[in-house]
Amino acid sequence: MTTFLWNLLLALAWTVSTGLFTVANLLVGLVLGYFILLFAQRALGPSAYFAKVPLVGRFALFYLGQLILANLRVAYDVLTPKHHMRPGVIAVPLEARTDAEITLLANLITLTPGSLSLDLSGDRRVLYVHAMYIDGGDVDAARRQIKEGLERRVLEVLR
Amino acid sequence: MSLYAVTLLEGAVTLALAMSGLALFLAFFRLVRGPSLPDRVVALDLIGVIAVGVIAAYDILTEQPVLLDAATVVALVAFLGTVAFAHYVERRKQDE
Amino acid sequence: MNDIASALLIVVGGAFMLLAGVGVVRMPDLFMRMQAATKAATLGAGCMLLAVAVHFGELTVVTRALLVTAFVFLTAPVAAHMIARAAYSVGTPLWEGTIADELRDRRQALGEEGDAP
Repeated sequence: MTTFLWNLLLALAWTVSTGLFTVANLLVGLVLGYFILLFAQRALGPSAYFAKVPLVGRFALFYLGQLILANLRVAYDVLTPKHHMRPGVIAVPLEARTDAEITLLANLITLTPGSLSLDLSGDRRVLYVHAMYIDGGDVDAARRQIKEGLERRVLEVLR
Repeated sequence: MSLYAVTLLEGAVTLALAMSGLALFLAFFRLVRGPSLPDRVVALDLIGVIAVGVIAAYDILTEQPVLLDAATVVALVAFLGTVAFAHYVERRKQDE
Repeated sequence: MNDIASALLIVVGGAFMLLAGVGVVRMPDLFMRMQAATKAATLGAGCMLLAVAVHFGELTVVTRALLVTAFVFLTAPVAAHMIARAAYSVGTPLWEGTIADELRDRRQALGEEGDAP
């Protein structure tokens, strides 16, 4: 976390010293700062930040892909006269424990078209999700898809 | 250049505004039609989000970035309204 | 270049809005209406705000546009979750094509044991 703040500070220093207050320039500063900190790691001591940044980037790409795919699927169903969906409410047992993990996972599930988190069981072990596409009526497969697709990656980033 | 020359961006914004306007109309249809209270809440929430988009598009058309503040306020009010309505729907059930 | 990017973004945003509008009218039950409406509209608003950011390109405008985008993306799922939960607990009917409802199964199981969930 501190390393991230250092990175931001370096980026700000870069924009101030170049005198060009645009977003593109700030991004250049962020990238430069990242590499400076990466090389300064020997002096500053190791930080989890350098492992997290590629993880977050990979997750963002994966999530963006999911978002586009799911959107196209829902769009197809909205625009064609026949309804192809096979909706259902499924129970997803959670591995996420803390508030932050559960909140992030539930919000990410809700933000993907085709799935909507409905309720959390009282003991916070099970998340109930309304899914729009349960392929072939296979509830377990849909459950697995959420667990292994989204939950595993969210936990990978947060832990 | 004639007075009526339309740039690519202006055309795009006008198209987007037309589509958003149609979406607003459809959302309004759902708001009037119902059938249940949660349906109306969903329609109202949708109207709020579309309004944010319309303000953003209008921003580009008029070259006025100040309007973004209005978008912030609309987003805030829409969210608070939705949360309040959801709370009300749940409360009404408990009171029965 | 910037003009083309923001024109593209804004048309995509408008298309998402229209999709949300059609979805909210056409889908057969409340939950699917929410699926089609809230998310598509959120993405649409996000695209349009990004178009504003790309078009103006100054740091002051871009930070504000990104702030509104972040706000919309943070609040939309929370609002959707609240409506969905409230609607489910009021007993809003699911579409007849729904193939599973494990939350109802769970609540019924709990109800028979005599303690409310």
